[in-house]
Amino acid sequence: MLAVGNLHVSYGSIVALRGVSLQVGEGEIVAVIGPNGAGKSTLLLTIAGIVRAKQGSIEFAGGSVTGAAPERLVSSGLSLVPEGRHIFGSLTVAENIALGATTRSDRAAIAADTERVLDLFPVLRERLRQRAGKLSGGEQQMLAIARALLAKPRLLLLDEPSLGLAPLVVKQVYDSIEELRRGGVTILIVEQSVGRALKVADRTYVLNSGAVTISGRSAELQGTAAFDTAYFGAMSGARAP
Amino acid sequence: MIVLQNAIDAISLGAIYALAALGIGLIFSIMRLINFAHGELIMVGGFMLYGLAGQPYIVMALAAILVVSILALGMERLAFRPLRRANPATLLIASFAVSYLVQHIVLITFGARPMGVDFMAQLGESVDIGGLRVPRLQIATIIVTLALMGGLALFFRRSRVGVQMRAAAEDFTMARLVGVRANLVFAVAFAISGVLASIVSLYLVTQTGSVSYKMGVSMVLIAFVASVIGGMGSLTGAALGGFLVGIVSVSLQAYLPVDMRPYRDAFVFLLFIAFLLWRPQGLLVRRADRERV
Repeated sequence: MLAVGNLHVSYGSIVALRGVSLQVGEGEIVAVIGPNGAGKSTLLLTIAGIVRAKQGSIEFAGGSVTGAAPERLVSSGLSLVPEGRHIFGSLTVAENIALGATTRSDRAAIAADTERVLDLFPVLRERLRQRAGKLSGGEQQMLAIARALLAKPRLLLLDEPSLGLAPLVVKQVYDSIEELRRGGVTILIVEQSVGRALKVADRTYVLNSGAVTISGRSAELQGTAAFDTAYFGAMSGARAP
Repeated sequence: MIVLQNAIDAISLGAIYALAALGIGLIFSIMRLINFAHGELIMVGGFMLYGLAGQPYIVMALAAILVVSILALGMERLAFRPLRRANPATLLIASFAVSYLVQHIVLITFGARPMGVDFMAQLGESVDIGGLRVPRLQIATIIVTLALMGGLALFFRRSRVGVQMRAAAEDFTMARLVGVRANLVFAVAFAISGVLASIVSLYLVTQTGSVSYKMGVSMVLIAFVASVIGGMGSLTGAALGGFLVGIVSVSLQAYLPVDMRPYRDAFVFLLFIAFLLWRPQGLLVRRADRERV
């Protein structure tokens, strides 16, 4: 469904990605993990069309989308929930959700999908008329995912959905990710929490200093010495949590 | 009685300032562009009225609104859209460039002398309301402004594009990530700012009965100050700021000692400098800027 080939990205003279390649198959959950500054968010922002690649290719659903505008990607079925959620705090919860369907015009289907995401996140239903900025962190994360789902994505990119959330809330968010998988959504997820990512993802890529250091089936990676080295790099001797 | 009279003066002048400030504030909130060329939109509206003098007033007015909106769209397309990724300072300089360009095209074509235009001069007459002599122009201004503001509020709350524009004003990148078309939002914002500017032209030409290539300059300065006072980026703030500047100007005009009145504007700006020292963020802060993390 998604194929990224030899992606190079720089911000001015700072190199963020140096030749990243990865694939995501239909129906898979794939995780990208790695320490702070590894380039994980840059990778997602580049796939979503916000950051421009210096070199490399991105294919989505069988066609090249290298350099495509984000609004075009959204309408072709690729949605990003960015790090820090970025809900529209001055707008109501209902307006935030409705904005998710910006690229669609099938009113009846939008209404039905809105019902579906409200069933998935019942806490949002109680707060439809509230300003989104008043929601708690966990509720904002759910709103951000709900908004992305309204675009009817075939591929959902999630950037650190557990960041800054209490453990119980993290569990709720991950439960909903499992449920999305059962609904047939393909997911590419970026995480710093290694344990979480390995648990939910079919396959995992480890990104360090802008390059993929190791990848494979999550179950097989966990706990191996090669994985520890790939993740922690120079910090030899440290153990994965 | 004189107090009431002054109040009506203040509100109608404030209404015009508010319309001008809304035009500036709308573009700023979405594009981070302080569009000094907004004054030239106002000026070109005036010259449209001059060019069409003798036609029915309604034709003159509609033509001015239409042409100014198209000019605003043209500015966006030719000058500001290519600079979308540039920093705000570059955009500001570009707006000065556009402003000078338009001013001097008009200067070369029509010359520097103000020219008289007959446009709805009978609005200058007053009507008697309970002993008050109120110029019709003031009544019309207040009604038109309130209608426009109500229309804008409805547009931003109810229409899909309006909600998309509020989202883009709060977080432009995220708006694109949900599929908001950047070019559409910019174009609609400029078209609306063009309509707002042309209404200000209608007022200025009716009130002064003349046009000149510099007629937009002082208005855009006042509009800029009003939108800063109101809180840059907040549309409600820009409108409030406009009314406030109008009220303060009229009050000083009415209550300053007579020999100080020529220096009214100095006092107006002095007051607003003091206000900004006390509250640099303006009257209203954009909600997005004080959001919980």
